[in-house]
Amino acid sequence: MSVSRDDVLRIAQLAELDVEEDALPDVAEQMSRILDYVAQLSAMPASTNGTVKTFVPGPDAIRFRPDEVAPWPLAFGPAAFAPAFKEGFFVVPKLGQFE
Amino acid sequence: MSDAKAVADRLVKSKRLNALLTPSKELRSALTAQAAAARPTGVLYGMPVAVKDNICTLEFTTTCGSRILEGYRSPYEATAVTKLKAAGALIAGKTNCDEFAMGSSTEHSAYGRVVHPLDKTRVPGGSSGGSAALVGAGALPAALGSETGGSVRQPASFCGVVGIKPTYGRVSRYGLVAFGSSLDQIGVLGRSVHDAARVLSVISGRDPRDATCEDRDPLRLPTVPESLQGFVIGLPREYFPAELDPAVRRACDRAVRLLRDLGAAVREVSLPHTAYAVPTYYVIAPAEASSNLARYDGVRYGPRFDGHADLRGLYRATRGQGFGAEVRRRILVGTYVLSAGFYDAYYRRAQQMRALIAQDFRNVFDRGVDLLFTPTTPSPAFKAGEKLSDPIAMYMSDIFTVTANLAGVPAISLPIGRVKGLPIGGQLIGQAFLEDEMLEAAYALERVVPATDEA
Repeated sequence: MSVSRDDVLRIAQLAELDVEEDALPDVAEQMSRILDYVAQLSAMPASTNGTVKTFVPGPDAIRFRPDEVAPWPLAFGPAAFAPAFKEGFFVVPKLGQFE
Repeated sequence: MSDAKAVADRLVKSKRLNALLTPSKELRSALTAQAAAARPTGVLYGMPVAVKDNICTLEFTTTCGSRILEGYRSPYEATAVTKLKAAGALIAGKTNCDEFAMGSSTEHSAYGRVVHPLDKTRVPGGSSGGSAALVGAGALPAALGSETGGSVRQPASFCGVVGIKPTYGRVSRYGLVAFGSSLDQIGVLGRSVHDAARVLSVISGRDPRDATCEDRDPLRLPTVPESLQGFVIGLPREYFPAELDPAVRRACDRAVRLLRDLGAAVREVSLPHTAYAVPTYYVIAPAEASSNLARYDGVRYGPRFDGHADLRGLYRATRGQGFGAEVRRRILVGTYVLSAGFYDAYYRRAQQMRALIAQDFRNVFDRGVDLLFTPTTPSPAFKAGEKLSDPIAMYMSDIFTVTANLAGVPAISLPIGRVKGLPIGGQLIGQAFLEDEMLEAAYALERVVPATDEA
């Protein structure tokens, strides 16, 4: 098995993901199987290794759009998602109310 | 509007498939409102098109089949959806899918599995299984799906409908929830090649909101050709392995005979790096997913799962409980292959292999081959639960479809026969941005192939 229980915990921490204690053995086993399976990529002929460029589809050059400031209308106005909104303003607690 | 009512009635009747996530009442009122507002001059006027639940809509929630986006309403809609509406189409609700489009059976949805329209013990394929099942059941002429590794063509093949994955950059990804950004593309499922193609032509074309969308006019549809004289069609030998399901092989042999009868020259070709396609995909796609899905943290979108003292605890609890098993697995694998010490062994190698796979396609197309013909899947629809405990077996059902995503080329699956009543799909793979040639051949083959006969 290529992935240990501790590996899973370390990776889960990097991924900001809780993995339950009793699920750990299963997760480690399945990750190992997947990683062992994809490890066949290391069988890539040595002659091509390092000389091959990587490939990403899509336009050859990044297109830019004009840098214009334009209103970006919200689908819902702030009134729809603000906790309190009145006559065009967000309603917030008075400053003096904070400790 | 009686049309809207009829559309809603047909969709509600297909409820047993669990293919539509939109509640019936909401669907009815949304369809009625859209039908009243639709422009009668649009080329898709009145055509109901359901949308996979990982494509943002204003009318309906967008959950990606996940608990982590339960009840989420997007503040904007996808360009593809805007274009459909502008053409007069009615957005007929959101379709169930594998969570964040990760899966090949639509069993990995937080809202329950989708049932195959012809056999309730089987899966409709995935991840666009809800869209495929509804079109397969005759509830809709077309639906949008999305592809990262075959998620339109594989379910199309299983459900006996047509599925098109366009060239990467043909359709704007704006509003498509990101999974693997260098692979993702919105695709179309349709009752016929023409139904799928005309929806594709509407949603294609430039979009300043997606920098990876090519600056091109929308796709122009070809006419149905009299013959395929002058077409050279390649049969890649790696796609016809000894262990291919015998019925799938028979259906393919029959389709190849028909292509020859139509006047096409058919010859065997080789795509030598095909065997590495699935492992390459299962490094690149999880790597991109682990990065794209980092944004679901319980703060910005959807519900949060508390009970923790600090912010990181909130992130971990939300992500741990909000994501399903398959998504968690892919995030972990993706994080692993990108982590220090493993990046070169996995991710860089996969990127290099991807270049070799793309080069394989360029090589055959440079040698005068116009199109490739292959089976879409190694077998017809499998039983529900059959591959759930074995991720590798599940991944292998994408073996003939992932290559087109890795190389960014267009492909179409169309029904070419049946085995014991279950549909079999044949695939045509085209050259980048030559969807018109691919569709010509598909139109011609569709007219002659006995799609519902036993192979």
